[in-house]
Amino acid sequence: MGRMKFLCDAERCIECNGCVTACKNEHEVPWGVNRRRVVTMNDGVPGERSISVACMHCSDAPCMAVCPTDCFYKTEDGVVLHDKDKCIGCGYCFFACPFGAPQFPNGPAAFGARGKMDKCTFCAGGPEETGSQAEYDKYGSNRLAQGKLPLCAEMCSTKALLAGDANVVADIFRERVLRRGTGAEVWGWDAAYGGGERKQERKREGRS
Amino acid sequence: MSTPILKRLTLLAVASGLLGGLAACSEVPQVTVYEQGQYSGKTDTRPWEGGAFNGDREAWEKALRERARGQSEYNRIQ
Amino acid sequence: MLTRKSDSAAGSARRLRGAAARPLGQTMDRRAFLKRSGLGLGAGAIATQLPYNLIGAADAAAPGVSRGDGPAEVRRTVCTHCSVGCAADAIVRNGVWVHQEPVFDSPINLGAHCAKGAALREHGHGEHRLKYPMKLVDGKYQKISWEQAIQEVGDRLLKIREDSGPDAVYWIGSSKHNNEQAYLLRKFVSFWGTNNCDHQARICHSTTVAGVANTWGYGAMTNSYNDMQFSKAAMYIGSNAAEAHPVSMLHMLHAKENGCKMIVVDPRFTRTAAKAHQFVRIRSGTDIPFIWGLLYHIFQNGWEDRKYIADRVFGLEKVKEEIMTWTPERVQEVTGIPEEQVFKVAETLAKNRPSTVVWCMGQTQHTVGNANVRAMCILQLVLGNVGVSGGGTNIFRGHDNVQGATDVGPNPDSLPGYYGLAAGSWKHWCAVWGVDYEWVKSRYASEELMTKSGITVSRWIDGVTENKELIDQPSNLRAVVYWGHAPNSQTRGAEMVEAMKQLDTLVVIDPYPSATASMAAMVRKDGVYLLPACTQFETVGTCTASNRSIQWREKVIEPLFESKPDHTIMYAFARKFGWADELVKNIKLDKDAQGWDEPSIEDILREINRGTWTIGYSGQSPERLKLHMKNMHTFDVRTLRAAGGPCDGEYFGLPWPCYGNPEMKHPGTPNLYDTSKHVMDGGGNFRANFGVERDGVSLLAAEGSASKGADLQMGYPEFDDVLLKKLGWWDELTDAEKQAAEGKNWKTDLSGGIIRVAMKNHGCHPFGNARARALVWNFPDPVPLHREPIYSPRPDLVEKYPTHDDKMKFWRLPTLYKSMQDKVKNISSEYPLIMTSGRLVEYEGGGEETRSNPWLAELQQEMFAEVNPKDANDAGFRNGEYIWVESPTKARLKVRAQVTQRVAPGTVFLPFHFSGWWQGEDMLRYYPEGAAPIVRGEAVNTATTYGYDPVTMMQESKTTLCRVSKA
Repeated sequence: MGRMKFLCDAERCIECNGCVTACKNEHEVPWGVNRRRVVTMNDGVPGERSISVACMHCSDAPCMAVCPTDCFYKTEDGVVLHDKDKCIGCGYCFFACPFGAPQFPNGPAAFGARGKMDKCTFCAGGPEETGSQAEYDKYGSNRLAQGKLPLCAEMCSTKALLAGDANVVADIFRERVLRRGTGAEVWGWDAAYGGGERKQERKREGRS
Repeated sequence: MSTPILKRLTLLAVASGLLGGLAACSEVPQVTVYEQGQYSGKTDTRPWEGGAFNGDREAWEKALRERARGQSEYNRIQ
Repeated sequence: MLTRKSDSAAGSARRLRGAAARPLGQTMDRRAFLKRSGLGLGAGAIATQLPYNLIGAADAAAPGVSRGDGPAEVRRTVCTHCSVGCAADAIVRNGVWVHQEPVFDSPINLGAHCAKGAALREHGHGEHRLKYPMKLVDGKYQKISWEQAIQEVGDRLLKIREDSGPDAVYWIGSSKHNNEQAYLLRKFVSFWGTNNCDHQARICHSTTVAGVANTWGYGAMTNSYNDMQFSKAAMYIGSNAAEAHPVSMLHMLHAKENGCKMIVVDPRFTRTAAKAHQFVRIRSGTDIPFIWGLLYHIFQNGWEDRKYIADRVFGLEKVKEEIMTWTPERVQEVTGIPEEQVFKVAETLAKNRPSTVVWCMGQTQHTVGNANVRAMCILQLVLGNVGVSGGGTNIFRGHDNVQGATDVGPNPDSLPGYYGLAAGSWKHWCAVWGVDYEWVKSRYASEELMTKSGITVSRWIDGVTENKELIDQPSNLRAVVYWGHAPNSQTRGAEMVEAMKQLDTLVVIDPYPSATASMAAMVRKDGVYLLPACTQFETVGTCTASNRSIQWREKVIEPLFESKPDHTIMYAFARKFGWADELVKNIKLDKDAQGWDEPSIEDILREINRGTWTIGYSGQSPERLKLHMKNMHTFDVRTLRAAGGPCDGEYFGLPWPCYGNPEMKHPGTPNLYDTSKHVMDGGGNFRANFGVERDGVSLLAAEGSASKGADLQMGYPEFDDVLLKKLGWWDELTDAEKQAAEGKNWKTDLSGGIIRVAMKNHGCHPFGNARARALVWNFPDPVPLHREPIYSPRPDLVEKYPTHDDKMKFWRLPTLYKSMQDKVKNISSEYPLIMTSGRLVEYEGGGEETRSNPWLAELQQEMFAEVNPKDANDAGFRNGEYIWVESPTKARLKVRAQVTQRVAPGTVFLPFHFSGWWQGEDMLRYYPEGAAPIVRGEAVNTATTYGYDPVTMMQESKTTLCRVSKA
């Protein structure tokens, strides 16, 4: 198995926030902590697009690089997790993260007690005994160990948010893009891959 | 049953980690290399070890693949 | 208990809700995103000041969080929020709902949920629910016992009945009751002796039901969410599906991916519009001119389906005369839409057939609601799109069971199954109920009142406050029972509190009774009772999705706190009233854990099956429905038909009409009026419900246009014993059936024999085969005409397109049109902006339930108004500031300004899910302790104005006027 990834299809995301409440539901995430959120661009005008964002489980994760206590680790399947017992709540990872994923609740809430960082775990729990109460209290459910994928993606209202092995997710997305025949409107795709030119090519091949 | 899962070696990371999953779509690899600090926390089990799968990695992978099918309605609508 | 929120906390959470990109029109670059998402830190920090944060700790200790021991049980249920009907699996351990899993197998939602559906499990916490019966004593709610509640409420109602007659009590039922409860409530109210009952459908799709049923037979969504995958074009008008029916977008976006053209027509650039190919901005309340504008181009270009019209439509010529007067210039003058846009939409719909249309409250909640929906039907008839897969009128209903409650629930003008109130209907149902017709009659004040439609929920306040001489019943209303309905969803809220004040008794039966409770406590000292009902997750029963599919809900958990299921409460009151045995003649009673008698849901459903022949609620036995819930994976997602397996050939949820008795094995009807299928395969044709001819013209369908394989290939009237004999088919009935069918028609033959012979033996439709009526001669405007709203921003157009004349006796009340419109004709000089309302994805209905759910409440913490930058600048306020929105009623709403181009200059949009603020004041102190929702805000309907549809008494809530100023 390869790397676990999230991908949000902006052509499908309707900003319904189902992913946000699914996350709250699965992990009992307290008020004020948002492991996942939906971000909208061009709100209310033509071109409005939304994407759902959480920890992207970067391959080269800046949070891991900067953490002064080295509390992060990456699992074999590419999920970035951390040990809350080691976390000192300094917030450095928050500065490093391009997505605002790390959250710092500061109350008696279950997550992040004493100001420790909390973030999306890809529904993979954390470094406590799998399925234990301790794991749930600190990190939430461990769906991955049950052979299930993150609930946010599984429950997405339009199947815009995809999660799982990068190759599988890519296959799902590729099929849609081919159906649409108008290029990949995934967020950031054009910027990263020069969509314009490729679109032209496809047009010439008569695929759109 | 807790096996150290940390791969202590350097990780190859695709520059646009976001889209790394779409490797099949011919992205240009822009590789950076960095030395990761030594993880200092508790060890964790692999997902197929601690939970319902009793170490059967193949069964776990199969379960996940099966589960992923639910994310594409094209699997049910031809 | 959250009692206070600082502005900054609220502000940061608003940011979490999306969009970080509130400042309108800005493209969010990565830096901006970073900067704003950084504030998430602040949100976390501020959260500690929120007392609410304690919930985290409480939850951690609550059994709900425990990973717990005990075997995990899976209970399959259906989301209780909207009409899509999303299935969900609840994982229960030791009686505690510990997890929620997606049901990928469901052909309706394929595991998908919106914010509300993904937060269902919170119902297992229910911290903000009403926990025990309460009574208002000296302005404060106090706990009382159930026994005391039933006795006191019962005594008060009986006293009123004795003094003022049964019609002095008004019963507001619920679209959130399951079918069995809704049905039992109609029976309950009948035994009480009144037709004064109603529910949310009145203010939701009553105009649709009346307008569409009068056009072609049934008033429901013709196709299904799933069937939209066959559409080549779809036009949403007055529907914001992305927020109101999010999971329906799964099907639409899939269709779009495969080439379907998507059009959105709305005063507002909605999130649905953001997904469309074409967005057309329309002036609120001018739907008919726009639709006539489309038809103008369709006729001009010869795009109409001539054969379809010739064979299956009645009266189109008259309508066409009106249509052709709507030249592009005239359309633009009234709607504000330029010709090329109208043309493009017309062309898209015409050249991409089958094309479908979707409408919701944007069409129905108008003083011309019934005409709006008929114009839509005419559009689809002209294009030959009705009775066609991928076409149809896809009318998205609101609540999870508003379709079912409309079909079999507490309606003031009909008995279950739309049987009407004539003596014949009463006798039919009395036979089904096993009670004596004369006895039921004796329960009513008179036979006249037994056959006269009751007051509607939209007007109950006038039933209280109107001059007694002008009311068409013996007494004013003196008591109101709110049994699962929000008060803030009805217009004229400012007048509602006056009505509440004047009542003798107000009873609220609800899991979340707080909006009604707080409004009442604001103006009263006593005479209010709150009774805790449980949610649909704490009982079993069926619900009907918008596409008419019926799903069975298993009980997830036992009723929380002291709450009881609604049908159990009905039985308890029936006992108090002295007719408990009559209520459950055919229904078994079970004892619940506290020893209460609970009528068996299965038995109630079987009783519904035995009586509801008209709309085919007769074939969906509990056994068949449960089988469908277990075998969801065998159903095709687009056709909803099972291929193989135990439900082979049936459509998912046996979408009504599922004719005949369960043994006849009708598969249900996926798309209404579809002649390409045999009637026993779910085919059909238009209904013969309006006679066989009109002005010498036949109303029956033309030769050759019957459903596939029918023995009668011409138009034919509905079946009764006489027709059966004439056709020589009578002897195909068994002797027992003959006995039951003699002197009966297909709707009243309790044996189902007439239906069996017509359908199974001869492939004919029991309701006949007629033409759809483009001309509905029994309505105020037989040809739909544009009429300006009562509160119109255009006095010049009021002159040209005035509203109806006043009505003296209309649903028992005098109702104003012309006199009102004349009075306020020039009021737009003081109140220049159109005020309209709509839904948010996080909340539902009046919102008390969803605003009590922390997972949802966190996402929308404040009531707001969307105002265009131009209007904001003119009024001198900025984004995020508090403003006053004031309507011609003088009611003022204090809300946050959301300055955005989503709305055009001249239009103000407000979401309607809020309550708990009253003209700037937080009503927290009026709530029963511990039962206030987390988020409170101004209810838009506090400020809405007068105006009702002239057929159904639908309230006008989509077009009125307001002005805005900085608070």
